[in-house]
Amino acid sequence: MKPISFQILGIGCWGPGFQNWSQLQSILSETNLDTTSEESQSDISKGPKPEIIPANERRRAPLPVRLAVESSWQACQHANIAPESLASVFVSGIGDTQLTDYMCKALVGESKALSPTKFHNSVHNAAAGYWTISTGCMQAANSVAGFQEAVSLALMEALLQCQIEGKPILITFYDAPSSTVLKELLKNETAFSASIIIGPADTSPDAQNYQATISNGAYQWPNFKSTQPLEECYNNNPAAKLLPLLHAFAHRDANTMQSITMPLSSERHLSISAEPQAT
Amino acid sequence: MEIRLIDYQSTTAAGVDIDALRRAIDTQQSGLRLNDLPLCDIATWIGRVDGLEQMDLGPWQSRNNALAAMGLNQGSILAQLEQLKEKYTPSRIGLVMGSSTASIDRTEEGYRNIDEDGRLTPAYRQALVHNPHSPSLFVAHTTGITGPAMTINTACSSSAKVFASAARWLQLGLVDAVLVGGVDTLCLSVMYGFHSLQLVSENPCRPFDQARDGINLGEAAGFAILMRPSDAEEGAGVSLFGFGESSDAHHMSHPHPEGLGARLAMQQALDMADLPSDSIDYINLHGTASKANDLIEGKLVEAMFPKTTKVSSTKAWMGHTLGAAGITEALIAVDGLRRNIIPGSLNLSQLDDQLALNIDSNNSNVPLNYVMSNSFGFGGNNCSLLFGMSGDA
Repeated sequence: MKPISFQILGIGCWGPGFQNWSQLQSILSETNLDTTSEESQSDISKGPKPEIIPANERRRAPLPVRLAVESSWQACQHANIAPESLASVFVSGIGDTQLTDYMCKALVGESKALSPTKFHNSVHNAAAGYWTISTGCMQAANSVAGFQEAVSLALMEALLQCQIEGKPILITFYDAPSSTVLKELLKNETAFSASIIIGPADTSPDAQNYQATISNGAYQWPNFKSTQPLEECYNNNPAAKLLPLLHAFAHRDANTMQSITMPLSSERHLSISAEPQAT
Repeated sequence: MEIRLIDYQSTTAAGVDIDALRRAIDTQQSGLRLNDLPLCDIATWIGRVDGLEQMDLGPWQSRNNALAAMGLNQGSILAQLEQLKEKYTPSRIGLVMGSSTASIDRTEEGYRNIDEDGRLTPAYRQALVHNPHSPSLFVAHTTGITGPAMTINTACSSSAKVFASAARWLQLGLVDAVLVGGVDTLCLSVMYGFHSLQLVSENPCRPFDQARDGINLGEAAGFAILMRPSDAEEGAGVSLFGFGESSDAHHMSHPHPEGLGARLAMQQALDMADLPSDSIDYINLHGTASKANDLIEGKLVEAMFPKTTKVSSTKAWMGHTLGAAGITEALIAVDGLRRNIIPGSLNLSQLDDQLALNIDSNNSNVPLNYVMSNSFGFGGNNCSLLFGMSGDA
């Protein structure tokens, strides 16, 4: 297939040691490696409180939903785009294992009674649901799973949709810590979310054009070197597999941006690089 | 836009394969039964598929994967895939699965067999099973597809949206053929979950009936092979010409009171196919038999389509199969299109007195050109699909 040209119109994120894109950029560019203040630790344990979700709904919103909505809202503000105009692809590698844990424990008991709110929150598209409800967005909202390939598959899906429809689309990648029982299998212990809004090439005359190429061949996820908490997050949190690409997008000089390649399947891979800029 | 269906199969309580489903439809024989799911004492009727408990999948074991395996083994799906892998290479075949339960049935079972230290016992330590991508991981493993494999989990619209994604993959040349599928299984999570929402009926469900009192849950696997028309001279003779995807932006588990999101989805599908609403001969409605869904969807269809468009809900044949409902009902509509048969709205005796739909409990034999299928899910997630005879657009 032909390469897809696109732009990055906005980025939002929340994770270990950062609560927005500029803070993550500082960590990625190694200008700020101090991520251990008590304040940020306490914030991390509770997760974000996205103001865009109405207060009474926010109290019921599970952590994965709050992560996803927070970074999505940040990305819209960064891009200065009205959220209700955007189609979206939400992706989580392991889903909401805390709610899985709640349901499975309740169903072992005699009464098997489930909370109706927790049950409807347990759908994988809860984040997409809360997002579209909170922002009044009636556009197509997709919610996909890809386990260890969650990031590359969601990127690919959104790139194809953006190319066909010729308009911007929001992609949100999020995973929260595994429940105690499932942690042995799904190792993640960190909360991470990142959102990027992509648009067709030349949407904004000032923005860099990037190129996505999908090719044959087996590929491993790239090595990622950063602070210890961020490396730990990258290694175990499926959504954090976006970090090398975020690192590349943070690079100030697009002409020397490193191409990022990630596996899509056992025999296909996705590469993203900057298009050379006219001088 | 035209994407051809090359082959398709359906496994539900109403029939283990598409031939059995046809017989059930033609004889109006429902597959629903009184709830006999082990460990579940809810008074209701269910669409349970027989024979899943006997299947051994080793490290892939789950009821959901067993149903996927059973579905894949019907008809010529696997044989067709072998030919396509030979012709295009396995990496040029894509896979898009839709599911809402994935293999949570197995996670439930794992929790019932937890050891003294609170750990999953060895048989249940299956990372590739206890995650929402498990349907695609298992089907890719089983079929040898090595192209991109993605799972869509948007509750009850999941396996309708697989057609939309596959169409995009094919249009841009990502792959040369896509196996789309939907698989969802009966498990305690959905039984007690829908029970907690007071949506489950004690009776066989009666979509659109004045006396309807809730849904019956079911399980299903459905598969279809999709290709570009330029690569598919021969096929099943039917094509996807339009789809619409939208959000209600209203509530996690209640539909929009005026069905605004559903309206957007149906209108987009018509616009993409460049067809007026009066060209649609039949719509397989979402029609869950819940009070709210059927009234809202019925009113909306009355407003958008002329009285010549016939409609029905087929959920009384196999129950609401949730994440598998999209493809199950799309294939019922497609198979009806090929055979010029509109399945009746089984169990309908008196239409809701607030509705004036062109709906009948009996089947009808009429020439069909274009059909639609609606699927609406929690989170306000909507998808409408529009099919016609190949080459018509």
